Amino acid sequence: MTSTVDTARPAGTPPPAARPGARRRARRPLSETALPYLMLAPAVLLMLALLAWPALQVLAISFRKLDLGELVRGELKWVGFDNYTAILTDPEFWVIGLRTLMFTAVVVLTTLLLGLGIAVLMRHLSGWVRVVLQVCLVLAWATPIIATTTIFQWIFDQQYGILNKTLVLIGFDSFKGYSWFTSGTSTLAVIGLLVVWQAVPFIAFTLYAGLVNTPRDLYEAAAIDGASGWAAFRAVSWPSVRPLLTLVTFLSVLWDFKVFTQVWAIRQGGPDGQSTTLPVLLYLRGIAGSHFGVAAAVAVLMLVVLLAVTWRYMRLLIRSPETEL
Amino acid sequence: MRSWSKALVGGFAVALAVAGCAGSGSGNDSAGQTSAPSGPRTLTVWLMNGSAPTTLTDELHKEFQASHKDVTVKYEIQQWNGIQDKLTTALASNDAPDVIEIGNTQAPKFASENVLEDLTASTGDFNGANWLSSLKDSGSWDGKQYAIPFYAANREILYRKDLFEQAGITAPPTSREEWLAAIGKLKAKFGSDPDFQALYLPGQNWYTLLSFIWDEGGDIAKKDGTKFTASLDSAEAKAGLEFYKKLVEESGTKAPKDADEQTPEQAGIYGGGKVAMFVALPWELATAAKSDPTIKDKTGAFPIPSKTAGKTAPVFQGGSNLAVPANSKDKDLAKEYLKLISSDKYQAGFAKAGMIPGTSKDVSLLEADPINAAMAKASANGKAVPATPGWATIEAGQNPIKDLLTAYLTGAKSIDQATKDANDALNKAFSS
Repeated sequence: MTSTVDTARPAGTPPPAARPGARRRARRPLSETALPYLMLAPAVLLMLALLAWPALQVLAISFRKLDLGELVRGELKWVGFDNYTAILTDPEFWVIGLRTLMFTAVVVLTTLLLGLGIAVLMRHLSGWVRVVLQVCLVLAWATPIIATTTIFQWIFDQQYGILNKTLVLIGFDSFKGYSWFTSGTSTLAVIGLLVVWQAVPFIAFTLYAGLVNTPRDLYEAAAIDGASGWAAFRAVSWPSVRPLLTLVTFLSVLWDFKVFTQVWAIRQGGPDGQSTTLPVLLYLRGIAGSHFGVAAAVAVLMLVVLLAVTWRYMRLLIRSPETEL
Repeated sequence: MRSWSKALVGGFAVALAVAGCAGSGSGNDSAGQTSAPSGPRTLTVWLMNGSAPTTLTDELHKEFQASHKDVTVKYEIQQWNGIQDKLTTALASNDAPDVIEIGNTQAPKFASENVLEDLTASTGDFNGANWLSSLKDSGSWDGKQYAIPFYAANREILYRKDLFEQAGITAPPTSREEWLAAIGKLKAKFGSDPDFQALYLPGQNWYTLLSFIWDEGGDIAKKDGTKFTASLDSAEAKAGLEFYKKLVEESGTKAPKDADEQTPEQAGIYGGGKVAMFVALPWELATAAKSDPTIKDKTGAFPIPSKTAGKTAPVFQGGSNLAVPANSKDKDLAKEYLKLISSDKYQAGFAKAGMIPGTSKDVSLLEADPINAAMAKASANGKAVPATPGWATIEAGQNPIKDLLTAYLTGAKSIDQATKDANDALNKAFSS
C-alpha cells in the first residue's frame, strides 16, 4: 500500500510541496505538482457529481422516513435504523435475497460456460460458418431487451406458444396447454434462459478476443509434443482467457444480480411473488408503494451483498493495478 | 484495510452532513401562498392522453378564459406511461400544476398522503349530487374528499350478432342461465370447428371475476374507517370464483389460464373471426376492426348478466379523478376550473365521446350508440377497488387476484387454499 499513497491522495489535499522543509519533492514549484491534479479535476468532479452524490443521497435517504407526503412537503424525518430493522426482520426479504443470489449464480455460471464454449467453437470454425455464427450472436445481442422478452413470452405462451406446439408435435402430449408460469422455479428458469440468451454474445466475443491473441505456434508446439485437445486447451488457451474470464465473471455478477427489466416484464415477480428478486422488491417498495426510505435501505443492502460477493475481485483490482488485466 | 475503513467512516459523515443541508434547503416552501396574486395569472392543467377530446377542451378553455380576465390556461397533455413518477416529482416542486387528472386506482395513494387540497366543502359546486359513486369512493380518504370524479368506463360483453342468429339465439342473454344456454347453442352449431370459441375468457381477467363476486354479494375487502380487511375467503367470493371456472369449462375457451386479457391482446383474437363473445371495454371493438373492418357491423353488446334474471351484474369502473395539488399557487382559480368542467354541459361531451360522465347522471348521449348503451346500462351498478394506498402495489403488477385465478383454474390449489393465500397477500399489501 505504501507505494500507492502518493497517487491515492484526494485532489483537494494541499500537496506536500506547500510545507517548507518536507521531502525531496518540496523543491519542485507548486504549479508543476498541482498540474496533474488540476487536469484530473474536471473528470473527478464530474464523477463525484454523477456517481458519488446520488450514492450518498441513497445512503442518507435509507435513514429517513420518506413517503410521498414527506417528499411533497419537503419534510426531513430521521428514523435511524428503522428502515433496516423493518426490512431485515421481514422473512420475505431473506427468501428473496437467497433466491436472487441463487438465480445470479446459476445464470452467471450458465452464461460463462456457454460463452466459453462458443468462443472455443469460433476459434475452430473457419470461413463463412464462423461469420454466420458471429452475425447471429451480434443480432441476438443487438435486439432490444423488451423485444426479446416479448418474443420469449410468445414462445412460452400456454395456448399459442411455439414451444408447447412443437413439444406436442414430437410426441410429448403432456405439454398441450402446459403453463410455464404457474410456479416460481419454472418462471425463473424461463427468465434465466432469457437473460443467458442476451448475455452470451458479449461473453463469447470477449473470450474469443482473448483466444485469438494466443499465437498459433503455441498450439502447434503443443500438438508436436503430443498434447490432446483438452490438454492443449488447458496449457495454451486457458492462461490467455483466464484474466478475461475473471473480468467477465465480475461483470456478469454485477449485471445479473441487478437485472430487473426481464423479471418484471415476464410476470411482475409472480406467481404469488415467487419470482420476485431484490430489484423487483426495490421497485415495489419504492416506486409502486412510494416508501422511498425503505427502498433506499434495500438498495444499500443490495450494495452490501454485491460488495461481499465481489470482494475478492475488488481486492485484486485495488492491490495490484498492474495485474495482467 | 485501515485506509478503507477510514474512507467508509469519512463517506458516512459526509453523507449525513450533506443530507442535512439538502433537507434544510428544500423545506417549508408551501406555507402562506393562498392569496391569489393580481395581474395576469396562469392556470396549469394536466389532463391525460386520450381523456378529454380536443374539441371539448378548446371550448372549455375559451369559456373559462372569457369569464376570467387575465387568466391563461396552460393545458398540458400527459402520457399514462410513467405518470406516477412524474406526478410525484411535480407535486413536490414549487411549480406544481393547479389541476391534475389521476387514475382512480392511484387516487387513494395521493389522497391518503395529504398532498392534495381538501375539496369536501366545495362538493356542492362540482355537481356533488350526481357523482358516480365508484369514483367518489376512489377520491375520498378518512371521510374527506380529495379528488372529484371525472369520467369512467366499465366492461360489457361484445358478441357476434350474425353467429348468435345462426345458432338460433334470438335475444342477448339477461341472466347467467341464459348466458350458459347461449354458449351451449353456439357450441352445438359451430363446435365442429376446432378453432371456434363461444367465449374468449383468459384466466386472469380479474375484472370479470370481481363482477361475479359482487353479484354474489361478496367483496374484495371490508372497510372499517381507513382500514381494509380482505374478504376473498368468504362464501360469496368462492361462489363467484366457481362461476368463473364454470364459464371457462363450459365455453371451452382456448385463452391462456396464466395470462390476462392483454397478453395476447384479446381484441386481436376476436378480430380473427372465430370468437363469438368476449368481455371487453367498448373501444376494444375498434382494435378488433383493425384485423377485420367488417366485424364492426356484426358486433353487438350486452351487459354482464346477473345471477338474478333481468338484472345486470355489478361492474368494476376504471376511470379518472380530478384533484388540486396542495402546492398549487392558485387553488381558488383551480376550483373554479373544476366547477366548469364538472358542469352538465361539458360532462355531456364525455358521454358523447363514449365515456361515462363522472359528475352527471345523464347518459342519454351514450345510449344513442348500441355498443356504448350496454355499458351505460351496467354503469348504474359500478364499483371500485378498495380505496387504500396499499392498492398501489397491486396495481403496479403483483395482483393476488390474478394469482388466485390461475392457481384455481389450473388446479394447482384447492379453492380454500387459493382464496386463503390471496386473502393473506391482499392483507399484506393493504398494510404496507
